Amino acid sequence: MIDPVILQQGSDWRAQAEVFDEIFFVFLALGTLVGTIVVAYTLWNVYKYRDDGNRSDEKFDAPTVGELPTGQGGPKAKKLFLSFGLSAIVVISLVVYAYGLLLYVEDGPSVQDDGDIEILVEGQQYGWVYEYPNGHTERGELIVPADQRIDINVTSQDVWHNFGSSELRIKSDAIPGEYNENWFSVSSEEVEAQGGEATYTVECFELCGPGHSAMKGQITVIPQDEWEEWYADTGEDSESESIESAGVTFDASAASGVSA
Amino acid sequence: MSELPPTTSVKRWLVTTNHKDIGILYTITALFFLLFGGVMALLIRLQLWDPTSQILSGLAYNEAVTAHGLIMVFWFLSPFAFGFANYFVPLQIGADDLAFPRLNAVSYWLYLFSGVLLAISFFQGGTLSAGWTIYAPLNVPMYTPSIGSTGAVLALAMFVTGTTASTVNFLTSIHHSRAEGMGIMDMPMFTWSMLTTVWMMLFAFAALLAVGLILSADRVLGSVYFSATEGGSLLWGHLFWFFGHPEVYIVFFPALGVMLELFQTFSGRRLVGRKWVIIAICLIAVQSFLVWMHHMFLTTINLEIKTLMMATTIGISLPFDLVVFALIYTLIKGRIQFTTPFLFAFGALLLFILGGITGVFLGAIVLDYEFRGTYWVVAHFHYVMFGGATALFGGAYYWFPKITGKMYDEFLGKLHFVVFFIGFNAVYFSMFLGWETPRRVFEYNPEFQIYHQFGTIGAFVLGLSFFIMFYNFAKSYVSGDPAGDNPWDYSRTAEWAVSSPPPLENWPNRPSYASGKLEFVKDYVPDGGPAMKTDDNGDVATDGGDSHSAHISDYPYWDKHASHASIWPFALSLALLVTLFGFSGFADAVTVVLGESAMQSEINISNPIYPTAIVVGLVGLLYTGVKWGLEDFYAPPTEFAERWPFNGVEKVKLGMWFFLASDVIVFGAFISAAVFVRYNAGWMTWEPLTESLPGLINTFVLITSSFTVILALVAARRKSRQGVLATLGTTILLGFTFMAIKLWEWNHEIFDRGVTIGANAHGDPIQASIYYVTTGLHGIHVLLGLVIAIFLFVRVYQGHYLDDERPIEYFGLYWHFVDIVWVFIFPLFYLF
Repeated sequence: MIDPVILQQGSDWRAQAEVFDEIFFVFLALGTLVGTIVVAYTLWNVYKYRDDGNRSDEKFDAPTVGELPTGQGGPKAKKLFLSFGLSAIVVISLVVYAYGLLLYVEDGPSVQDDGDIEILVEGQQYGWVYEYPNGHTERGELIVPADQRIDINVTSQDVWHNFGSSELRIKSDAIPGEYNENWFSVSSEEVEAQGGEATYTVECFELCGPGHSAMKGQITVIPQDEWEEWYADTGEDSESESIESAGVTFDASAASGVSA
Repeated sequence: MSELPPTTSVKRWLVTTNHKDIGILYTITALFFLLFGGVMALLIRLQLWDPTSQILSGLAYNEAVTAHGLIMVFWFLSPFAFGFANYFVPLQIGADDLAFPRLNAVSYWLYLFSGVLLAISFFQGGTLSAGWTIYAPLNVPMYTPSIGSTGAVLALAMFVTGTTASTVNFLTSIHHSRAEGMGIMDMPMFTWSMLTTVWMMLFAFAALLAVGLILSADRVLGSVYFSATEGGSLLWGHLFWFFGHPEVYIVFFPALGVMLELFQTFSGRRLVGRKWVIIAICLIAVQSFLVWMHHMFLTTINLEIKTLMMATTIGISLPFDLVVFALIYTLIKGRIQFTTPFLFAFGALLLFILGGITGVFLGAIVLDYEFRGTYWVVAHFHYVMFGGATALFGGAYYWFPKITGKMYDEFLGKLHFVVFFIGFNAVYFSMFLGWETPRRVFEYNPEFQIYHQFGTIGAFVLGLSFFIMFYNFAKSYVSGDPAGDNPWDYSRTAEWAVSSPPPLENWPNRPSYASGKLEFVKDYVPDGGPAMKTDDNGDVATDGGDSHSAHISDYPYWDKHASHASIWPFALSLALLVTLFGFSGFADAVTVVLGESAMQSEINISNPIYPTAIVVGLVGLLYTGVKWGLEDFYAPPTEFAERWPFNGVEKVKLGMWFFLASDVIVFGAFISAAVFVRYNAGWMTWEPLTESLPGLINTFVLITSSFTVILALVAARRKSRQGVLATLGTTILLGFTFMAIKLWEWNHEIFDRGVTIGANAHGDPIQASIYYVTTGLHGIHVLLGLVIAIFLFVRVYQGHYLDDERPIEYFGLYWHFVDIVWVFIFPLFYLF
């Protein structure tokens, strides 16, 4: 389990993808195990108690048409509750375990001194518009720095969309009038590994009209220094706002999202 | 009352009100919709074959996806189950028929004609393309402008109307007509599962009806609920999923009931922990209303509520665990016969286990975040819903001998199962493998192409497997071996105690479990008593039994035979079809240009077909409704019955209460919508649109009319015709006064203040929409009440109801309800 306190800003954050992969693996392993046991047990018993015509009539109390269902219970009911209790323990402990990680994903890793960047993501038929704290907007491609927590604030200008990247394991509903907060972070190691520029496909995960299938975008992650250079250039054509003030800029909209 | 024609006559099937006939109609119609929805599925699968090439345009693909979902969930799964429920629930509880045979017929015809309306929508510029979840605001005309989209929404509303009628009918039947000695815990498991299903339907479908009506208002009348940024999208999400989650169990429970029956019949064992299974399914039915937001984890719901919903979601999986284990343990030490029905029921269990385990994944919020909108969800709910429906095909084989009197072909049945099971897993398990594909996307990542191609092959195998079943049933119906009354070794339930197919009125004598097992008792009947039952030899039974003349005197028509035929359910449903067809094109065909006053406004009609259809349909509704009311149709009361927990409540009154309970949810949804949107807009930013005085006067008018209805009942009990006419007449006058003030108020709002259904000169347009739609729904209720009141008034004038004042009493219940609703509406729209 993750303890947010010990996390340092930077590459040792756990991305949502890692958290997801861990939980998914645990669920898959346990699910397969439980499923296999239950199905195998059932199949075995169905085979064992098949009607092969060779069973003695002793102790076999065949039901008759028109009987009322009475007088049941017995040893099988005890077994029923035992299995029920076991399955309840498995399911509840799985969910409690997963819930601990949910709290991490909800809050994101802690950052010092507003070191995060907030970007407004607006869905529209059929693409994504990204608005940076300095007012610069990009269409289609979201360019962000590595080793930094990127906060996104997702909304829609027309119909209900869903902003998601399978590889980053992030997803947010884009709903008109609502502001949905999410975050992601890509380490510089990952960017190095992909040759100095990591790209991730963005897809729309909610049916939004005839162009839904083709509603794709891209997240491009570049090293921090390169990004700062790029970002400084974008600020020239618009009124420059510092990254620090970004939190304030989006607070109002974020608050309205919460009140809903 | 007309006689029921023979089964070979077409007319028989148009007029029948017999539960077995209607069960057959449901089943066959549902199978037709299985093919319809199946063709849509195959179109989807063909499109998915290759992510780089398309056979359908994006819009056509979305239409196929939407129609597939809607048809399979609404027009196939539930009606298929209700076919069996119609046929076998009355038999299993020892009733002659459902409580309200004509209402049952109207449920079927509304179902069929709503399907026709949906089919027509394909030719009205394309059907709905917003997915079966119909998310807002994609569902408003701005984004889905075709007339067919409106047609599909109205078709859904019509379907739900029929469903509500059916729900009321089943609830009343099961709670009112169980044979003597069959306590509620003694009911067969299929009947139990249907009872919990209809209880869920009563509330869930009312929410769907409400949301469908609001959407219809948006699409037909121009209100702006779902395009409002003040929470319009989330409003749809909440209302839809409040219905949508119980709906999952509504389609699954009948299949579960079939599994519970078949596991017992084909293992020779009685259900393990029966009492606990019943408690578990009741718990599930209640809990199903407390989990809906797990469909909305990624909307902006806060963490506390998400946590709560996660807990309830996991909570609801636990009773299912118990049911699954009970099914498995039932088989142990049995003598399992691998017949076709058992194979399907057993296959359903295996598929459901997989569907259930993958559902636990979705319950963990972190996983749900990533699974949302992917094929994981698609695969999961197909395993649960269609996996469950697998048992229904088992039910079809199980009951085929009872319905037709012929045995199906066992080899072909087993072949069907094998091909079905392989095809099923090929198409849906491949979805788990390629789960990262977004739903409803055909230009997917080519990495997953292999899974989707495998799935497409599986889909065709699955589709073709049904033709083995159709061939089997057709062949066996024509030339199968006679099945006898009870072809199964270990069956228990009462349908196997009568001939195959059972006689029109089901039983040789009155069925009774008073002695602990099913017996047919011959009742003593006093002079000229109720419809006489005959024994096995066809002789009239008049010997033995106790006297129960007091019972009979409660029922004034005791000398009548039961009716089994009426054309009015068919005619009424047809009239509603015409009306709704008209409304589907209303917004496109008719434009209203507002002038200074109502007199100076213009109505432009660009296409006369639609407005004509509305007028013809409404006239037809009124005519068929009146003919229905006048028809001498007799559904005999069940004299000796187990009625817990509604002992002592008369049949029609019980039905009325059930109907009103569902109407409470309808209004509850409308009022919740008003509160939700206003909360999102900022509660205090809205001032009432209207002056409070007219509303206050109307409040007094309605409350007074409630008193006059009570007086009418008192007068009817005193057999005073003039008293009834005076008080009922006053009620009608008060009702018209209410409507007149309402009309003045609307006129004032529209022409003096510039507040119309989609525009508001004084604030948010959505506020105006909410005001008109909510008070409008109430107004329609008043208007409907007035139509009934006038009908009653004329009948009283002709001398009816003085011996039997129940119609006046039940009208009074409805009228009080409408008045109470106003008491909630008044402060919301006039005071604050």
